[in-house]
Amino acid sequence: MLQLTPRSIRIVDSYEDGQNAKHVTFEPIDFIHEQPVRIGQFFMLSVPGAGLAPFTYTSLPDSKGRFVALIRKVGKLTKAIYALKQGAVLGYNGPYGQGWPIEMLANKEVLIVAGGCGIAPLAATIDHLIEIGRAGNTTLIYGAKDRPSQVLSRERRNWQNKILVHDTFMQTNDADKSGTPTQHIENVLAESDRHPQIVLTCGPEAMMRSVAITCHRLLISSDKIWLSLEKRMRCGIGLCGHCYLANELVCKQGPTYRYDKLLELENKTTVFHKHTGLYQYC
Amino acid sequence: MNEQRFILDNIMSLKRHLLKRFDVYQITADRQGEKSWQVSEADEVLPLFGPKNLPLVSLKRFFFAENEAIYSFNGNTFSPIKPKIEPRAIFGVQACDLTAISYQDTFFKDDPYYQARRQQTLLVGIDCNSPCEKGFCHEMNAGPHVDSAHADLILSQFSDLQNTAVSSTETAKGAWLLIAATEKGRDSLQGLVLQNAPENWPELRQQLKQQVVAKFADFSYIKSSTEIINKGQVPAKLWEELSVRCLACSGCTNLCPTCSCYSSYEQYDSESNQTTTRRIWDSCQFEGFQREASNHNPSQLAAQRTERFWFHKFSNAYLPEFGRYGCVGCGRCEQTCAGSIGVHSVMKRINQVCCN
Repeated sequence: MLQLTPRSIRIVDSYEDGQNAKHVTFEPIDFIHEQPVRIGQFFMLSVPGAGLAPFTYTSLPDSKGRFVALIRKVGKLTKAIYALKQGAVLGYNGPYGQGWPIEMLANKEVLIVAGGCGIAPLAATIDHLIEIGRAGNTTLIYGAKDRPSQVLSRERRNWQNKILVHDTFMQTNDADKSGTPTQHIENVLAESDRHPQIVLTCGPEAMMRSVAITCHRLLISSDKIWLSLEKRMRCGIGLCGHCYLANELVCKQGPTYRYDKLLELENKTTVFHKHTGLYQYC
Repeated sequence: MNEQRFILDNIMSLKRHLLKRFDVYQITADRQGEKSWQVSEADEVLPLFGPKNLPLVSLKRFFFAENEAIYSFNGNTFSPIKPKIEPRAIFGVQACDLTAISYQDTFFKDDPYYQARRQQTLLVGIDCNSPCEKGFCHEMNAGPHVDSAHADLILSQFSDLQNTAVSSTETAKGAWLLIAATEKGRDSLQGLVLQNAPENWPELRQQLKQQVVAKFADFSYIKSSTEIINKGQVPAKLWEELSVRCLACSGCTNLCPTCSCYSSYEQYDSESNQTTTRRIWDSCQFEGFQREASNHNPSQLAAQRTERFWFHKFSNAYLPEFGRYGCVGCGRCEQTCAGSIGVHSVMKRINQVCCN
């Protein structure tokens, strides 16, 4: 049977990380993670008085079961978390969903394109690639609105001299860094003479789509491009229905999707959203 | 389990027997004639059944509660709140609703709240002996006769066994074939003296079914529109045209016996200092159903939400998981939709636009 009742966790540490974002460490209270957490999976966080929502593991549980999430103040629930102090007790359910295709990365040239807080689900992947000795084959293009709004400062500092990192900003005077991460993909790859065999991307949906389209144009086949989708979720276990995508539920079959599979799913219905750029009127 | 078949001369004797061990629920009419499932308070009240008595509100809420507490939090610990359900028999369920329960059994197979209710319930189905007003169960492989895999006990009424004429009076007396289709069904009959049914009765039941099926109107537009939906040939413009008529009232999703979306909310009790999390039916037809905290909404367009509902009911994409379509042909969406975009209206319109 599925477990709907959360288990208790407490906040053991937190610090400001970028604008309106916090790096929060949680510790299990009287439970151990029976199921190993896979990179790219997520958990449901219950905030008494504010509801529940999905968050990604910025770092996976350590030997004490402690794990980290990046919380950006966006809505009612994240505002409530933001106000909590060390020691506050919250509810936890997880791990849920399918993670990134970690096994496929082992011998590949990897391109990671992240936008804003979309870097959070990719952080553990980058740490993993460094750990298995693939730092020299890893490229990160990280887009943010401006420098102060960049998140995961400590993690990025750690990556800086190990993997190839290119930051981009919407607001900057530096022409080399100005624009969206997508606009920089071609140049960064050309200048560094890198030829990615697999692409992982997470960020605003419009950004991920443009990343996928650009990479496809650069002859990376769509089955080598992976996206991590964000959806509203009320359960995380494939019951509440909120995160539907055609006949799939993103909490169960996602949140990571191969681009070709994603397009296949989206082609099952005929009405598309205008913002996706794929809206088709017959 | 092999089916066991018996003769019953009056369904009231079965009801009286079940009342010894179960709370018996049956279809009851109120003063305005509205039918609903109610606990049988008086032993001798004949259950309503059959096509003329399909309640507008299905049995869905008996298993997937419309609003229920799921867990509480005392400041330190979260504790599950398990439903406490007495053994109950639901007497006289139509084939379409039984098919829907079977569909939900698959969807909620690992949901502890659904299963706690389901396991305490004995389902007694009754074959429909004529089509109902909006129903097209036969077209959806969900009736008019009860599938043995969908009920614990099945009743089928024969008024005249010589020529297997269909009873039109729907009375309790007469000749009834009683089938124990599950172990649970057989156990429920213990202590009731029954005579085995003649060997040819299943065949007679089959003949009866053919007679009922022949009475259904022509619903071929359902099949052809299902094909059009699955070929992705319904133009976005048509979904938009249909969606203009949607008032987002959630009548269709609430009444649909296979819809299962829910949301959750919390209630704080200052006296006990406890927070209770409850789940409540939700609807994919609400504009904010998928809206995220950032205000990004993947189903912002009404046309997307309208298409969503029909995709969920008629897409082949769900066949591997459920072995059937999400629509059971009960016709409740047609009956309730204030904007006239229930199943018949939509499928006829798709057929009309896409086949001409």
